[in-house]
Amino acid sequence: MNQLAVAAIAAAFAVPVLAQAPASPPPAWQQGKPSSMQESTLHPFAPHMTGRSAKELPVNTLKVPAGFKVEVWAEGIPEARSLALGDNGTVFVSNRISKNVYAVVDSGGKREVKQVLKGLNAPNGLTFSKGTLYVAERDKITAFEGIEGKLDNPGEGKVVAQNLDPDKQPGHFWKYLAMGPDGKLYFNHGSPQNITMPTYIQAAILRVDPKTGVVENFAQGVRNSVGFDWNPKTKHLWFTEHGRDWLGDDSPSDELNVAPRAGLHFGFPYCHQGDTLDPEYGKQRSCKEFTPPALKLGGHIAPLGMKFYNGKMFPAEYQGNILIAQHGSWNRTVKQGYNVLRVVVDGDKVVKSEPFVTGFLQDEKADPPMWGRPVDILVMKDGSVLFSDDYNGIVYRVSYSKK
Amino acid sequence: MIFNSAARNAAALAVAFFFFGADARAADAEAGRAKAQVCAACHGNDGNSTDPAVPSLAGQPAQAIATQLFQFREGNRQNPLMTPMAANLSNADMNNIADYFASLKAAPPKHRTAPANAELGPQLAKKFNCTQCHGPALMGQQQMPRLAGQQPEYLRAQLKGFKASTRSDLDGNMTSAAQALTEKDIDVLVDYLAGLGAQ
Repeated sequence: MNQLAVAAIAAAFAVPVLAQAPASPPPAWQQGKPSSMQESTLHPFAPHMTGRSAKELPVNTLKVPAGFKVEVWAEGIPEARSLALGDNGTVFVSNRISKNVYAVVDSGGKREVKQVLKGLNAPNGLTFSKGTLYVAERDKITAFEGIEGKLDNPGEGKVVAQNLDPDKQPGHFWKYLAMGPDGKLYFNHGSPQNITMPTYIQAAILRVDPKTGVVENFAQGVRNSVGFDWNPKTKHLWFTEHGRDWLGDDSPSDELNVAPRAGLHFGFPYCHQGDTLDPEYGKQRSCKEFTPPALKLGGHIAPLGMKFYNGKMFPAEYQGNILIAQHGSWNRTVKQGYNVLRVVVDGDKVVKSEPFVTGFLQDEKADPPMWGRPVDILVMKDGSVLFSDDYNGIVYRVSYSKK
Repeated sequence: MIFNSAARNAAALAVAFFFFGADARAADAEAGRAKAQVCAACHGNDGNSTDPAVPSLAGQPAQAIATQLFQFREGNRQNPLMTPMAANLSNADMNNIADYFASLKAAPPKHRTAPANAELGPQLAKKFNCTQCHGPALMGQQQMPRLAGQQPEYLRAQLKGFKASTRSDLDGNMTSAAQALTEKDIDVLVDYLAGLGAQ
């Protein structure tokens, strides 16, 4: 059939088609967009899957406080996401939408990037504990015992928990993973879409005992958390949380939360940022029901990985501070974030916060506005700090020297 | 907020050249040209395909080309011709090839859209969220390919593949967007997009 014939047939059917066909279901990130914002062209940014070479990038424009230095530590790690440190110094790096786990090893004084696991299903979550690397994929968590001794042949691993994505949800299906002080593995299960009523397993932080495989809910009403750590003094869980989109540039704020115990509800989808009812789901609720954030981080700033700093290299006032990798924003007409934030805490309270590494944001109104996106934080044995950048496939190192 | 995508792209390009240095980019595109010799047999000498089933690469966003090459190599996207082509390319090769094709000028399409579809196409492109990501003029940006003036049978095969969930889709957006498309919607969109930008 020639093109004109196709076109003629198409034209003949086109009008009734337009009248009858349902509109396309929007992608998960666009769900909940009000009619007043239908013309908005804001969209999430995808990483350069093939990575970009640091020599092409304005790395020398990154800024850190006086006495600190930031440099490229490793590159060529496509879509570098979560970071985990092995007992023998191996740095493991994960993927979110791709399928691999990489190891950065010291090979004769040179840093070498090896692909150690492949063919996984969105293996965003990584944590290392007592010789074992735990990997959280979309639907399961697997333990790789003694992996540092067999990086070239780590085997299949042992499944710790499975069926963690029973609904094959369209959005927020990637997991963060961390080993708690109670010996349980903590992970998030995000909201399936931008704003929706979650099921029993969604919009929550859960934990699983790796010995028994029993999964419990730890915190609820958490739209999506892709970063958490425990205050070494109080042993309380702190976590970052992404607020919903399409309520405007500054509403709602993304959050830094603290959960001193299990069973707290942090508001989603009823109440955002501790004080703002959702226009749909919050109509008949009160924010007083829910635990408010310890700190409002800013609209759509997308806080991801966070770690308490407990190293010996940085000045004393950094002890016990939280460093947060901020990956956004995209759902703002004027962009902000794309930095590493320092948060000073005292017990369960935030004392102050300030940018720690800046310079990725180039033009707050451009598309894209940034040249790199921090994802996760890792405190190294020497007290230096690594952070990953999935946009370029680069890991940076921040160090401090008194002189 | 609607803004002019050409102006925005030009501004982004200016920023890119300012920071990355025009020389480095030109050198990459030059390295890409050498690697891309083999592509010409199907994609055309200047990246402008003449085969309705083979996509034009000239003037596509570099990130869109590199992302697809990556998916072919990693096995996310399967194609008997492209899978072996991508198998031995490094990430740097892919970036260079992408820079090369992005630097070429897209030829005006030879396809002529039927008048009825020229009217209906823009409505469908908006209704089915095409313009949300591919841009108001469907010129593509970042990892989202340019659709305007693309070869019709290539467009049709991709849309059908997304609808059938057989075409790889890193973030799931195209699979989601294609679900509500009828065969006739696809016909209209293909006829509209393939002729977009014709002179």
